[in-house]
Amino acid sequence: MRHAIGDTYFLMIRALRETVRQPALEIGNVFIPIFFFAVTVGAIGNSAARAFGVDNYTGFQMPIAVLQGVAGAAGVAGIGTVTDIERGYFDKLLLTPAARISLAMGRLAADGVRICLLSAFILVVGIVFGSGLESGPLGAVVLVAMAGSFGLAYSGIGMALALKTGSAQAAQLGFLIFFPLLFLSPAFAPKEFFAPWLEFLATINPVTYIVEGMRSLVLEGWDAAALGKAFASIVAMGAFTMTLVLLGLRSRTA
Amino acid sequence: MPAILAEGLAKHFSPDIKAVDGIALDVPEGQIFGFLGANGSGKTTTVRMLTTLLRPTAGRAEVLGLDVTHHAGEVRSRIGVALQEAGLDDIQTGRELLALSARLYRVAPSEIAERVAQLLRIVDLEDAADRRLKTYSGGMQRRLDLAAALVHRPSVVFLDEPTTGLDPISRDSIWRYVAELNRSEGVTFFLTTQYLEEADRLCHDVAIMDYGRIVAQGSPEELKASIGTDVVSLRIEGGADELARAEQAVRRFEGIEDVRVVDDGVICYVREGSSAIAKLVLLLDEASLRAKEVTLARPSLDDVFLKKTGHHLEADEAAAAADATGRARGRRP
Repeated sequence: MRHAIGDTYFLMIRALRETVRQPALEIGNVFIPIFFFAVTVGAIGNSAARAFGVDNYTGFQMPIAVLQGVAGAAGVAGIGTVTDIERGYFDKLLLTPAARISLAMGRLAADGVRICLLSAFILVVGIVFGSGLESGPLGAVVLVAMAGSFGLAYSGIGMALALKTGSAQAAQLGFLIFFPLLFLSPAFAPKEFFAPWLEFLATINPVTYIVEGMRSLVLEGWDAAALGKAFASIVAMGAFTMTLVLLGLRSRTA
Repeated sequence: MPAILAEGLAKHFSPDIKAVDGIALDVPEGQIFGFLGANGSGKTTTVRMLTTLLRPTAGRAEVLGLDVTHHAGEVRSRIGVALQEAGLDDIQTGRELLALSARLYRVAPSEIAERVAQLLRIVDLEDAADRRLKTYSGGMQRRLDLAAALVHRPSVVFLDEPTTGLDPISRDSIWRYVAELNRSEGVTFFLTTQYLEEADRLCHDVAIMDYGRIVAQGSPEELKASIGTDVVSLRIEGGADELARAEQAVRRFEGIEDVRVVDDGVICYVREGSSAIAKLVLLLDEASLRAKEVTLARPSLDDVFLKKTGHHLEADEAAAAADATGRARGRRP
């Protein structure tokens, strides 16, 4: 176990070094969510606030910007693993006595760290735009931690596909399936305004609870039930995606 | 205890694709063992099984007395491997890559910086140590890959075609490091190569692999002596018809042991080659054929390869380049 943690740390540092040396790759992950956040709030903020009875639509949208940032940044682990496989470096890592799980967890942990930093930045931008943060500084820490842990769990999809297929296109599927999940959550309007079929889909969608947990921190302060459901969703999703990662790793090893 | 032992080792990717078809190996500690064969002969698959990257379909293999399937983790910690493609991470610098390898191989943290510096010195990469790997030439990457394979002082090192595609100077440096490490530290090397002359010069023992099977094994001297004849090469003017007629003509020579037709001539295995040359040329003349060039030589490993497999390694590689996948899959009909 000690070795697995150490190996994960070393491989995480290596993955983060890649990000530091290729900062241009992060520009889209920062720019796109902030752009959509600004445009959405600017275009429909006033009318949506009146229509849905939401006092602070900027704050209502801020978690969506954070989650869009998470979706963009969460694909890096899978793509990086495909690159390692293609250039033979993954085989070199497999030849070391490093814990097998660390070969995946190193990159996933790096995604978690990057997503925490990205989320903190988007959060600051949101506050500057006037979203407010009812739960205060500690709430900001919890929101960032929630984004990071969700990102780590979500990155598992791209990682599992990368390990199983060795294909960059497949690894990017993780990014693509996020948007249906986001649009099937109360991203733009409270769930009560949905058609019954959409409300049902939103109820079984784990992203709904993460959106509501983050939103509670921004708009209401501390709501234990909302936060509990959000973290339970993240744990459930993490258990599912990590199982896929382990199966992917098994297919890559002798 | 042998450094590497294999019995009936096989890897079948399907009933028709027998990449390795039941081979036996016994490589003593401290040896440089050469594994020779054309593309697709099963060399790389064998290396991948011995280094725990592939699970054998049948048979067993041990490295330093450890079964490669049941004690894969222990095997990995005691071997060094440089695969055919120098699989490196080009975002890192040479020093960072070696340091990461050292950490993953559990080298004591207090020793890592010194060990990395020592290896960079050994492979002449001190000046480039802090440059990113994407700026390294192919030869530099191979040397770094070799250094990464040695970072934890393994007892057995597997090198899969470590010199293929390198210029002669880089090739010579790799072989120099291998010979030096073998001599000074007793490291056992198991290496695959297509360069027969180098294998002849450096390897204590070699095995020739062809279509998944070992067709000859022994020291280069033993293998060359096993031919037991001189080698007379006759380059013939003309095309396929002339070559076929030349083969028929030289077969009429009483002292001939064997004949092989190659791209541009025939190779005759004869006793007392110096006296046979004139008779062979005369036989060609009687068949209205002309030899452009005649050479007499003691057998080389290339002759051993040709005799055991029916084809030249170099000619095979050219064909393989044109049709990389065709002959790589399974046994000759």
